[in-house]
Parts: sequence; C-alpha cells; structure tokens
Amino acid sequence: MQRMIFPFAAIVGQETVKRALLIAVVNPKAGGVLVVGEKGTAKSTLVRSLAEITGEARLIELPLNATEDMVFGGLDMQYALEQGKRRFLPGILARANNQLLYIDEINLLRQEFLGSLLDAAATGVYRVEREGISCLQAAACTLIGTMNPEEGTLSPQMIDRFGLYAAVSREKNETDRMEIMRRILAYEARPAEFCRQYAAANEAVKQQVAIARSLLQAIVVPEAMILLAAQMCAKAHSPGHRAELFLLEAARAIAALAGRTYLLPADLEEAACYVLPQRMRQEEQPLPPEPPEQNEPEPPGEEPPEQPDNQPPPEPPASQQEREQPAEQPVPPAGQPESQGSDQEKVADIDTTFPFIRMALALPQDRQERRGSGKRSLTRTDTKQGRYVRSGIPHGQVTDLAFDATLRAAAPYQKFRNTAQCAIAIEREDLRQKIREKRIGSTFLFVVDASGSMGARERMRAVKGAVCAMLQDAYQQRDQVGLIAFRRQTAEVLLPITRSVDLAQKCLRHLPTGGKTPLAEGLTAALKVLAFRRQKDREMKPVLVLVTDGRANTTATGGDGMADALKVAGKIHKTGVHSVVIDTESDFVKLGLARTVAREMGSAYYSLRELSEHNIMHIVKNLS
Amino acid sequence: MQHNAVYPFTAIVGQEDMKLALILNVINPLLGGVLIKGEKGTAKSTAVRALADLLPAMEVSTGCPFHCDPADVSRLCDSCRGRSEEQTLPVQSVKMRVVELPVSATEDRVVGTLDIEHAIKQGEKKFDPGILAQANRNILYVDEINLLDDHVVDVLLDAAAMGVNTVEREGVSYSHPARFVLVGTMNPEEGDIRPQLLDRFGLSVAVAGENRPECRVEVIKRRLGYEQDPAAFGRQHQEEQAKLAADIMQASRLLPHVTIKDELLLLVAKLAIALDVDGHRADITVIKTAMTLAAFDGREAVEPEDVKKAARLALPHRMRRRPFEDGTLDWDKVEAVLAQP
Repeated sequence: MQRMIFPFAAIVGQETVKRALLIAVVNPKAGGVLVVGEKGTAKSTLVRSLAEITGEARLIELPLNATEDMVFGGLDMQYALEQGKRRFLPGILARANNQLLYIDEINLLRQEFLGSLLDAAATGVYRVEREGISCLQAAACTLIGTMNPEEGTLSPQMIDRFGLYAAVSREKNETDRMEIMRRILAYEARPAEFCRQYAAANEAVKQQVAIARSLLQAIVVPEAMILLAAQMCAKAHSPGHRAELFLLEAARAIAALAGRTYLLPADLEEAACYVLPQRMRQEEQPLPPEPPEQNEPEPPGEEPPEQPDNQPPPEPPASQQEREQPAEQPVPPAGQPESQGSDQEKVADIDTTFPFIRMALALPQDRQERRGSGKRSLTRTDTKQGRYVRSGIPHGQVTDLAFDATLRAAAPYQKFRNTAQCAIAIEREDLRQKIREKRIGSTFLFVVDASGSMGARERMRAVKGAVCAMLQDAYQQRDQVGLIAFRRQTAEVLLPITRSVDLAQKCLRHLPTGGKTPLAEGLTAALKVLAFRRQKDREMKPVLVLVTDGRANTTATGGDGMADALKVAGKIHKTGVHSVVIDTESDFVKLGLARTVAREMGSAYYSLRELSEHNIMHIVKNLS
Repeated sequence: MQHNAVYPFTAIVGQEDMKLALILNVINPLLGGVLIKGEKGTAKSTAVRALADLLPAMEVSTGCPFHCDPADVSRLCDSCRGRSEEQTLPVQSVKMRVVELPVSATEDRVVGTLDIEHAIKQGEKKFDPGILAQANRNILYVDEINLLDDHVVDVLLDAAAMGVNTVEREGVSYSHPARFVLVGTMNPEEGDIRPQLLDRFGLSVAVAGENRPECRVEVIKRRLGYEQDPAAFGRQHQEEQAKLAADIMQASRLLPHVTIKDELLLLVAKLAIALDVDGHRADITVIKTAMTLAAFDGREAVEPEDVKKAARLALPHRMRRRPFEDGTLDWDKVEAVLAQP
C-alpha cells in the first residue's frame, strides 16, 4: 500500500530530532537513533517523513504483530510445494538490509526478540537456524526506534545499541503551535496539494543528504579528533568504546551535512549531544544484586537527599529530564509537631522524590522467570489469547494450530504425497502448535501500617512515596494491586484487588495515619483477601507487601498484639504466599520487630532506607 | 440487522454530551473518536449501536474488502490501486457501519491472518482480512475498552497511528488501509486505560445516570414502550431520526468550507500551553472539533463559543498526563484563557 506522507520539511520545530535523523541517514555507522518522547509529538510522523528524503534507501517498518519467522525469515512454502526442496524465504530483517528499519513503540517489544534484532543490526549479519534451514543473512540496517517512556523504559543495554539518542517534546511557543495546527489542517484537507507546496523544501533536504553522503567518504578523522573524542567519553564515564566510535561517525555526518570534507571540534561537540547523554546515565546503573552505591536510573537532581552524590553532573539536553519525573516536589510542611503514637489523625502527602522501585519477581517454581529482567509479567500461554510469536512441535493434542508453520512443514514432502483431494496433503507429523505469549500481571497486595507511630517524622510521607514508586512499577508491568491499611482498632480493605493502579494511588494519597497498630488485623484481612482471590483465579501467584515498623500493640481480641501478629504471620507463611516486609523503623534504638514478623512470614526483608538506595526489590530472598 | 431492531438514537433521554460527541465524529471522522466513561446502565452501548441508524452512505469501490474510497487515490488498497490503473473503479454506495471489536478478540482476528481454506485448496498464501479491515472508513466500537488485552491495544494503536494495518505474520506480509473512528466505552472502576490509548481518542465524555425523577421516569417509559413494540416505537421517532440524519449530511457537506480565524488558533495554542498538555493532539483536536461544531450549527465561520464547547469535549482526558497524575480539567483556567482579548 502506498501512503501519502506528511513532508519532512513541513514539520515545525523538533530540530534536534530532525538533526539526529539526518545524521543517522547520512552515516549508517553512526548507529541509528532512538527517539524518545511523550505521545503526540510527531515522533512517528518525523520518522516516516524520512522515507522521502533518503533517496534510494527505503523505510522498512516492523509492526508489533510480526511473528518471529516473518522477521528472521523461514522456509519458502511456495517453492517447497513446487520443487519439493527447501529454500529460505527472507524476512523483514533481510528486506531491511542497507535500508532504514523503523520500530515504533520499541519498548513494547519482547526483550529477547529485540535483543536478537539489535544484535543483527549491529553486526550486519544474522544466522538463521530454523525449519531445517541454516544460512547467514545480511542485515546491515540503520535502526530507528521510537518510544514513549511512560509505557516503560528500555534497559540501558538496549539503549546502548543505538548510536544516537534524541528527545522530542512539545512546542512551547504559541506561534509555533499555531503553525502546527495550520499545517495539519491544510494537510488533512488536501494532502496532495499540501505535499506539492513543500516539494521544493523537501527536495532541498534530500539534496543536502545526497551531497553529504557523497562527501562522507572523503572525511578523514585526524588524530587530534580521536583524542578529543576519547577525552569527551572519559569525562562522561561512558563504558566501552562504542561511544567514541559513534561520536566520531556522527561528527563525520555533521561535517558532511555542512558540506565540508574536514572535521571541526564543533562537529564533535554537536555529536556529543546525541551520543553521550544516554551513556552517562549508564555509569550510574549498578548490576542489581550488587551492594548499593549509586543506582539512579532517573535523571539527576531528583535523588533523595540521603544519597551520596558522587557522580559527575551530566549535562543531558534539557528534554532528557522530562522522563517520568513529577514536575514539582511538594515542600514538606515545616515544623510538624511530633506525635509518636498519638491518636491525632493526619494525612501525609506522597514523597514524590522517592526513586522508582523495580519489583523483581523470581518465583522459584516458575520456569518463565528466566525470560529476563523486568518482564515478570511475560509468560507463555496455552489459551488462544496471547500474541502468536512462533510455532513449535506439539506435545500431545494440538489445541492451537499454527497453520502457516504446518504448511511449511508439509510443503517439502508434497511431491511424494497424494494430493488428489486438496492442493496440500498434511500428515500428523506436520502439525505445528502456535506458541503464544501474553503479558500477565502479577498481583500485589499492599498492607500498610497507618498507625500513629508511622505518622511521625515525615515517615508516612516516605512510606507513601515508596508504595507509590512500587505502584508505578506495577502499572508498567500491568499488575493487579490491592491495598489494605491498618490503624486504630481495625484493618480496612481500602481497595480490593483491581487492575486500577490509579485507584490504589488515590487511596494512598488520602490515607490518614493515627492511632494504635493492629498488625494482626491487617494480616488477617490480607489472608482473607488473598483466599477470596484465589477462589476466583487459581493460577494467580500473589505477593503480599507489608509496610510496617512492626510495633504491633493492639488487637481486636484484646490479647497481646505482637503474639497475635506473629501467629497470623505464621499462617500466611503456611499458605505459601510470597511476601516482602518493608521495615519503616528509623528510630535510634531499633527494636527490629518488623524483622521478626518477616522471619515468621518467610518474607524477604528490606528497610525503607535500603529500598530507597537499592531501587530494586527481590521478592524472594531466603532469610533463614 | 433489522432496521427497527435498534433503539432510536433520538429517543435516548439526556446524555447530551455523549450524543453530541458521537454525532460530531460521524460528521468528521478525522476527529479521532470518542471515549465514553460511565457506570453500567447509562445507555453507553445503546447510544453507540443506535448511531448506526444515522450513519451516512458512502461511496466504496465495489467488492473491496476494505471499502476503499475510489475518490481518494492516496489511500487505496493494493488491489484497488492495481485495478484503478487499468480502468475506473466501479462504485457502490453503502452505509457506514459500526463494527464491534469484542474484548475477547484474538490478535489474529483483529489484524487478519492467513486464509486457511485458500492455502489448502490452492496451495497459495492469501490474506484473510480481520476486524481492522472491516473497520476501515467505519466506526470501530470497543465496549469496555479498558479490559482489552494489551497486545490488542498495541495493534489498535499501531493501526490508528497511521491509518494502516500492517500484517507480518503466518507467512503473510500485507498492509491495507485502516482508518476508523474509534469509539470506546469504559467503566473507570474496572481498571485503567493506558495513557497512550487514551490520547488517541479525540473526545471524551463522562456519562452518569439521570438524577432528576422526571427524567428517570421518561427513560423507563421509553424503554418499556420500545420493548413492547419496537417497530411502533421506531415509527414514533422516525421523523426526528430523519431530521438528525439530514442535519448530519448537511454538516458533512458544509465542513470543508468551514474556516477559522488566526486569532482563534492562537487562543487554542495559548490554552494548550496554559494547561500544559502532552504533545499536540489536544490543540489540533480542539480546533477540528470547533470546526465540526460550527458545521453542525450550519455556519462556515468558527466562533469562540465553538472553541469553548470543543475544549470541554477534547481536553478532560488529556489532563491526566501520567499514570498517576490525577489531572482534572481546570475549567476556570480554560475560561480565563478564552476570555483573553
């Protein structure tokens, strides 16, 4: 299908993205571009408009629904039918050889799949081993990925594969916004005429690219420039040597775009804006199980004050800071009276500076867990609901026939089979089953201590911040969440388990603190919610997240609060529910009661402080 | 579906915003659809299904599974493009339709898949169009859209973004036009809708049950009347229905002639900046909605009042910028900006 495309030259503003795209188009060695920005900022329009100005190169799009054999290639069914021989039918990746490969919503692709894709693009070749075919395919393509970070981010390793990084943001200037509206209205009313109006301007960009491409070979990188690049990268603490190479290649493209055949330091400086920001942040990212040092996946300037600030302040383009950060930080109310254990009620606000917490689920009996980081919700599915990713040989009954794969399996044998009835004779051994994947959210039940002791010293603010940070992760992973709060004499199910993470956050915001600590009640309520939930959904593997200082001092039965709490904790342990205890105790003299509860419940244990420094919560951690 | 088996659109009591939003989308399919939020039993689905009756006829290329518009050469499917190069495409007039996407739909059904029968009989690959093919140039209706599986949502977003459905699966590489008016309903209590999907909806309206007793009585009366004798009930509303259908037709014809002054564009740009909305869809939608409102009112010039009305339909769901930001539309702010000289 041919499409009318909004002209590149007609796009208002977005100069950095345009520039990054041009650099990538002029010099494939610059490593492609990752375009990041909020929705509705013309990301896709920009990339698609590129098709017209790249001359001979085409823009190949990778749709989200692509199955693996379509991407990497597979057996040519038609040929096999006719000749009875196997032949490789190239996939999208092969089509993209020496072209631009565009992946929209790149952060929504399966990690392992994206990994192989990026590998292929980086090395320029990939090995095919499927359906009895073994061959080497060329796949040297310039990757262009776009993503909206609010749907989840890419891992730093994935981001690192892209040479260039560009952030888009909305126009903030009235006249520009007006012009955008004018042009879109004009385009939608008469697309062909609109395109004609911009034909000359578009042609000029096309010429610039063509000339730059022809100049590129002549641009030699002098020794001094290599040294400068090395210095820049060292200063930015960028790991490996990809950065230097990308930096120099991008600089060559910049010089070529300017019509020069020599490099200027300014070219390198401009290139650095696209090559270095995403790599600076990488320095700060530790490997998950390592002791905490510096672990901010977020841009700087938002760390909680207690964190050591030992990394050099990177200077990413301003737009980079816009990623998933709340705009303003509420100022903590000054001079709040201490009211430890008092009956006075108050509502703490949410500490929005609390770092993002990734809840790493490594449920031992689950084999899917090796499917990689952060994808806790990705699972194979035997229902017909998931996304069809590949096919396999069925074990037992075929419930979900992969017809395409079955045909391909049967094709080479047709010459020897009786095909009197139909064009194709299929036998039992040809049958293939669809393998589908579905993102299944986990279920997190938060049980939050809202007693008076939690209200003290801004602690509840931090607690809310932490729970909110976990909810953010839950949103990105499409988890279900529930919220129970306990204070005074009772526990209250504020939110039964629901998919609406949003509601959970609202409940949390309005949650007041005050009164005693009926921990046993809180845990009992959790048991009930989980039991009820299990009746509805047997497959569910819920995780209980208890946030408390463990100072149980009351119970409905009038008995010993702590003893009762431990009893229920033991019960929870027996049900096999995975749990985490987040200890909020921060007093000078530590009673360590929450740790006792955690032990009894068989939970992973974290202190609030530890959590704010780690950013990662391993749900299953052997305590004993 | 039988003509009189559907509850007449004009017989729906109240819910004026919802009705208006739906009508505007019929007049101008480029508005981007509407999200209807509300509790159960607030006539959301009834209204959408009732809309079918009012939909205008359109010219399609005869026999095309995607109902290509022969007049729009830039958006023809491969087959129509091929045919159009040899001859003038035969044209047929059909009614625009409401195509339903069930929440349980599998991805294969949505995007289309390999035609199994053809493969067995002929030993050739052929594309079997799915729901997105049916939806081209029609209304795609997803009841309880917030319960839709994520991967189906992704596919929908993919198609909605470009007006094209690109299929790379089951041995078939195919792409076909898929421009549709997306109408979704949801009960917010049952779960979130992803901001990315939310932003795709041009307009949003919140519906609530009628609170005035006299209205509730009227709702019940009409419902009973309809159930007792749908045909007779339909006849009672025939005149109103015909008038509304004619108004919609008239407005569609007028729409291309509607113009908007620069000062109103500037006002909308100011509004978007003041409200700090994500991206640019908000301003563009406000403008297009205002133009459609003017057309529906029989005018060729957009007035400030149109912009105000449009802001109410196009902005509320865009205030919620991130999964956790509460975001309600600060109407005072809107009025303050709009009141600027």
